[in-house]
Amino acid sequence: MTAPMPAGAQAYPETETDDPQAAVQTRSRARSASGRGGWRGLLVQPVLIAAGTLAFVLWRATAELSDTETRQLGWSALGRNIVDHLQLTLVAGVLVLAIGIPLGVLLTRGPFRRATPLVLAVANTGQAAPAIGLFVLLATWLGFGFGFRSAVVALVLYTVLPVLRNTMVGLEGVDARLVEAGRGMGMSALAVLFRVELPLAVPVMLAGVRTALVLLVGTATLATFISGGGLGLLITTGVNLSLDALLVSGAVLVALLALAVDWVGRVIEHLARPKGL
Amino acid sequence: MWDYLVDRRGLIAFQAVQHVSLVVQCVVLATGIAIGVAVLSYRSPRISGLANGLSAIGLTIPSFALLGLLLAPFGFGITPAVIAVVFYASLPILRNAVVGLAGVDQSLVESARGIGMSRLATLVRVELPLAWPVVLAGVRVSTQMVMGIAAVAAYVLGPGLGSLIFSGLSRLGGANALNATLVGTIAIVLLALVLDVVLVLVGRLTTSKGIRV
Repeated sequence: MTAPMPAGAQAYPETETDDPQAAVQTRSRARSASGRGGWRGLLVQPVLIAAGTLAFVLWRATAELSDTETRQLGWSALGRNIVDHLQLTLVAGVLVLAIGIPLGVLLTRGPFRRATPLVLAVANTGQAAPAIGLFVLLATWLGFGFGFRSAVVALVLYTVLPVLRNTMVGLEGVDARLVEAGRGMGMSALAVLFRVELPLAVPVMLAGVRTALVLLVGTATLATFISGGGLGLLITTGVNLSLDALLVSGAVLVALLALAVDWVGRVIEHLARPKGL
Repeated sequence: MWDYLVDRRGLIAFQAVQHVSLVVQCVVLATGIAIGVAVLSYRSPRISGLANGLSAIGLTIPSFALLGLLLAPFGFGITPAVIAVVFYASLPILRNAVVGLAGVDQSLVESARGIGMSRLATLVRVELPLAWPVVLAGVRVSTQMVMGIAAVAAYVLGPGLGSLIFSGLSRLGGANALNATLVGTIAIVLLALVLDVVLVLVGRLTTSKGIRV
């Protein structure tokens, strides 16, 4: 629970690092924290999310709304926005995994290894790039046009970095002696990758995946600026028509969705951690 | 593009200064708040666990959603922008400050107490200087992150380069719409790099001599 954030790491919790000093602290803290915090921490979050959702549903059922608000917040309109939002997140998420993990593996192999520091530096810088600028530039300048497609491309570009970064850091962090031992036992390079390196790197890689998914949910709100749909639409409509009910509903629903996705990521991390670690 | 830069250099420089000043002031404020909270909480594992949990949950809340929520009570302008930026900036610093303070060797604290230093003197002259490099690493993470968040803050009419991006979006197809967006985006990335270098230098200058690498 309490890893320090090294400079240049993605600004999200549990992103492991290549900084030896921080890594030592991480390990000594992690041991004391994982025993207690483990499952109890995982239980608090869904309770919060459920309470938040219940509060929203109750408010929606009882609040007195104007015609416009009722139409926008009708269950069908609301459902469409949520489905749009999830669609953006899922399509972009699948693409991010399909691109980020193989690329990360490739960049830590043989001849590409020399490029690793450079790629990590670029990945760190990319974090400061404003997502909104990326959306607008993709839609207008690079000719992807407005709509779902360019929103997905922008989301993938923006969130592939944490996955790529953590895959590389995780693989780099595998003890070289273990790789050597695997090779010495007569395993092929591919077998070592799949049976030694990747399983050992899984915790760090999954932390990157969760970071990316949470970022995706949040960043997908900006898709509304290039007609990509999603819950951001509620927020911008609320702002444009100065209807606070829409604005707050959109914001609350996105936050709940992000927390839910974060929780699913945590559960997967908990379950997928190899037994030996 | 070049003509645009030359023609609008006054406006661009003004927005850039506004952007950096928003980010720097908010990060300084956030550092103060985060260190304060960390000092209050790092001795108790329960409270520091709570602080870390809150920081983790806080970081999952999308910045655009928080800005939207802040619009309702505070209206447009600088207030919601500053609150949102300080909020996000303080989370990584808080996390690192708690870890840094908790990571200080207890035997050193004991020695300081043993030579007659008060609780406060130990904190200010032993623990905080030893934890400072870890805190500063958090400040660097925060700064990079809020450079991007400050751009979205322009939507609630906060100051800074984000307004160039949004004005490009709203004047789509018009003259210089693309240039405005492009300049706004690239300037934010460049300024983030500059700030990071500055923070590394600050780290060199402010890290206690005894633990400087």
